[in-house]
Amino acid sequence: MDASPLNIDSARNLSRPVPNLTTTPPPRGSEDDLRLARACAGGDSDVFASIYDRHGERMKSIAYHQLGNVADAEDAVQETFIKLHRAAAGYNGEAAFTTWLYRILINTCYDMLRRRSRRIRETPIDDLLHAGHAANAVDDVKRMALRKLLSDLPEQRRTVFALFEIEGLSHAEIAAILDISEGNSKWILFSTKKQLQEQWKK
Amino acid sequence: MDINCNQLDDLLLEGDRFSLDLAARHAQSCEACRKRLAGWNEISATARELHATWNNELLWPRIERDIRTIRAERRGTRTRVWQIAAALFLLAAIGVTAWIAQRRVHAAAFDESILRASAVDEVERAEKAHIAAINHLESLTSTKLDQPATPLLVSYKEKLMMLDDAIAECQGAINRNRQNAYLRTQLLTMYSEKQRTLQDVLREDNNHASNQ
Repeated sequence: MDASPLNIDSARNLSRPVPNLTTTPPPRGSEDDLRLARACAGGDSDVFASIYDRHGERMKSIAYHQLGNVADAEDAVQETFIKLHRAAAGYNGEAAFTTWLYRILINTCYDMLRRRSRRIRETPIDDLLHAGHAANAVDDVKRMALRKLLSDLPEQRRTVFALFEIEGLSHAEIAAILDISEGNSKWILFSTKKQLQEQWKK
Repeated sequence: MDINCNQLDDLLLEGDRFSLDLAARHAQSCEACRKRLAGWNEISATARELHATWNNELLWPRIERDIRTIRAERRGTRTRVWQIAAALFLLAAIGVTAWIAQRRVHAAAFDESILRASAVDEVERAEKAHIAAINHLESLTSTKLDQPATPLLVSYKEKLMMLDDAIAECQGAINRNRQNAYLRTQLLTMYSEKQRTLQDVLREDNNHASNQ
């Protein structure tokens, strides 16, 4: 892994705006988020249903890329909703509700990984998944290879890569979810992709 | 804007649209960077296809059931807490009531003892007046009894001495227990007897004088 420090000076030599490597304030919870959390604390099924409708798919995908199989991913999503119900009374709007929700999910996945003391299963499950693209043999091989490389990554690197590249979250959102700086999120993604690219060639 | 190969990493690190466009423009004129950028973008493109979606109609019902169970447990816990609180409140109310009742009983007993003490004072005042009258009567007979002129007066003198001893003993017992009504009755009886005896002494003395 390339662990060299970020070369900020060379970046500043470019005649363009200075790269944004500082931490921007994470998105805070709105009044709507607080109302949502209060409804969750009260156990309003409709609210949970709407959260599931809005975020369920992405939650399953995030959990799947952490845990490596559908059953575990569904367990993680289920456990996340239970934790959400239990912890909602303590939500204070410090982070956006969605950020908080994903943070619970990621931590649940980490807990499950540690609890089960096993790494991502390597069994391909593409037949279970409905990818939104025209599948062909070459693409399948690429996806399987990338999934294999991801499964070998440390937790944090895998999470940053999956949230940014697979789920399309911004660095600000990732930073808030993982409680790291935005610059750190960028650096982790860059070094992870660099590592993957080297392994990809092989 | 010209950049060199060494700056490619910084652009990829920044990763925004502007930086990647800049890197792409540079890659058009640099074979090594073009290959590197292609590999970089290929990873991103493949990653985007990894977004996993599947339907499981049973997942939401499972989650909903769990949430309902927790809600029911919480309600049960809340009910138990209320029950415990109600039991504690009831215990406290009983305790306070018992304490108040005990205080009232103590107060009544205190009032009663005050009343009893005042009654005893009144009895003692009456006794003192009675004793003073008897003592006055005794002083009238003392000269006759010092040197009794008849055998009957001698026996009266002995009787009065016995009564005085009994009165002193009874008075000592009363001093130890002022509120003993029985002892006071006994004392009153003895004083009454002493009074009658002294009156008899006076009568006997008069009879003896008239006979002479």
